Amino acid sequence: MTALLILSLPLTLALGAWLAASLDRLAPALWGLPAAGPLTPLREAAALLAQQTIRTERPDRLTLLLAPALYLTLAAVGLSVVPLWPGVAPIESPVGIVIWGSCEALTIIAVFLHGWSPNAPFPLIGAYRYVAIALPVMLPSMFVLIAAALPAGSLSVTAIVASQEPLWNVLRQPMGLPLFLLVGLTLTLRGPFDYADGADIADGTSAEDSGAGRALWQFARLSMLVAFSAMAAAVFLGGPLGPWLPGPVWLWLKTAAVMALTVLLGHAVARTSPSRMLGLLWVVALPLSFLHLAIAGVLAL
Amino acid sequence: MSWLTRLAAQAAVPVYPCIGPGLLAAVEWLFLSPHLRRTATPRAAAILLVAGQIPPRAQAGLDRLHDQLPHPRASLTWDGAGDSTPDLRRLWRELLAGRGDQPDRLPDTPPNEWRGKGDHGQGGKGMMGGVPYGRPMAMTAKDLRDGLELDAYTARFGPFAPMLPPGLEVEITLQGDVITKLTPCAPPFDQGLDASTPSACAARLLHLLGLPLDARRVRTGKRPMGLARLRALPPGLGEVAPDNDARARLTAWLAGREDETHIPPLPDLLTGLEWHEAMLVLNSFTPDALRRACLEEAEA
Repeated sequence: MTALLILSLPLTLALGAWLAASLDRLAPALWGLPAAGPLTPLREAAALLAQQTIRTERPDRLTLLLAPALYLTLAAVGLSVVPLWPGVAPIESPVGIVIWGSCEALTIIAVFLHGWSPNAPFPLIGAYRYVAIALPVMLPSMFVLIAAALPAGSLSVTAIVASQEPLWNVLRQPMGLPLFLLVGLTLTLRGPFDYADGADIADGTSAEDSGAGRALWQFARLSMLVAFSAMAAAVFLGGPLGPWLPGPVWLWLKTAAVMALTVLLGHAVARTSPSRMLGLLWVVALPLSFLHLAIAGVLAL
Repeated sequence: MSWLTRLAAQAAVPVYPCIGPGLLAAVEWLFLSPHLRRTATPRAAAILLVAGQIPPRAQAGLDRLHDQLPHPRASLTWDGAGDSTPDLRRLWRELLAGRGDQPDRLPDTPPNEWRGKGDHGQGGKGMMGGVPYGRPMAMTAKDLRDGLELDAYTARFGPFAPMLPPGLEVEITLQGDVITKLTPCAPPFDQGLDASTPSACAARLLHLLGLPLDARRVRTGKRPMGLARLRALPPGLGEVAPDNDARARLTAWLAGREDETHIPPLPDLLTGLEWHEAMLVLNSFTPDALRRACLEEAEA
């Protein structure tokens, strides 16, 4: 059973990545612009695979491969602790939330290595800039996750899901999901938090990516969106809990909803300058998340 | 053709444009086509679109860019007349069918000889600095803000960098992503007034703010919808006169008003800013005004 559940992870990531890429290409419709269909991501992937993967001069060969592999692995590991049925996760861990938290933190390393490896200026600027922004994002993330674990009295994601039987966390802790969405945008290099691969540095850490290497990095980005959305669905929307339909179907529907919201925010919110964003994160997001944790703590007493 | 290339042939054509004088607006209109995708880096493109007559001073940059495209690759020259989308799509299908792949234009050798100076022969000090084989290396220097010795990196950007107006070449010294020194080397190409219309300029700035969908809307005369599109620009950024900062200029453009800003010398304007801020400031002026400012500076 566990083996089957673990085997389901690559399939979930692949289908989820395709759905996320399709949502990305559907988004223009909301802006009254021509949108592309669900086949477009496959066509674009094929276009990348049909091209050569260029190696820059004197790259860091080890980290060149390690970066996308690590990003993809972190998405898979993060997803593995999310329960598909109430009480059943591919990897049932009493500290599932801690495992997810470490996947979040190590994502910073994966993105940094991706910018470091090609030995070129724009990727390196993107890499350092991302670390500066992503580190302070991780602190609110930890407070938000601990707040969600308080009513459950456990760090296990299945216990957090079970604790939402009477009331989902999105209603019990209304600041949690909005704060967690900041984390999602950062982890998946999107919109207002895409300081790694922005247009001002010619795609930043991806500026030297071509062909299959580029396709792999984009796939890893989308996979992380799948893992993040599933975790947000489990922690705030009751994961597989729901009437009539089987648990996995509920989880999928809620994951898709979070994914659509993240994609929408990524397209809809402007990106400010890095120094101003740093200020906002330390001065607004961090105290807000601490307040959120304090309220959750008092309520859980 | 294999199933992979057949699938790829239906994708939007990935194109990196090198824009010559007078064709900026035409190229931006061209990329509103859903059949084309403007890539931010030559590494993601299959076709190099050479729009207009590239002046001789930018020819070497064009050739270097050409050689950075992954194989199979091709280039297409376009004079701005008619729609080049069908030609680009045909070229893309031919490339995928294994025809027309272009070889390198420049020899695959370093642009400079090995410099004989320094412990390691690279022209710097110790293991740092200099331009070994023509590649600029970082060297420690005092940080502008606190005097800490950090790695300073000097390189030339342009003339076809996607975040700069076409033709503009600047030599920039960066410490991290802070610009500590900036020297304009060549002005932007003359793009005529249709590249400096409020909608064209607003679209460029919105694109840099991470709102490409809004940029497309504005380019086609619609209102933008993105959140924080004005507030994302830090207040006072790129201020050249009282109440005339980047945010005020974007507000004016979005209201359809022309901008008549006189730009101070670029080094005064951009030194000390982060790269992201500097690019926002540069794109908060019309290409026409930037060109005039660079020419005045060169004369002075």
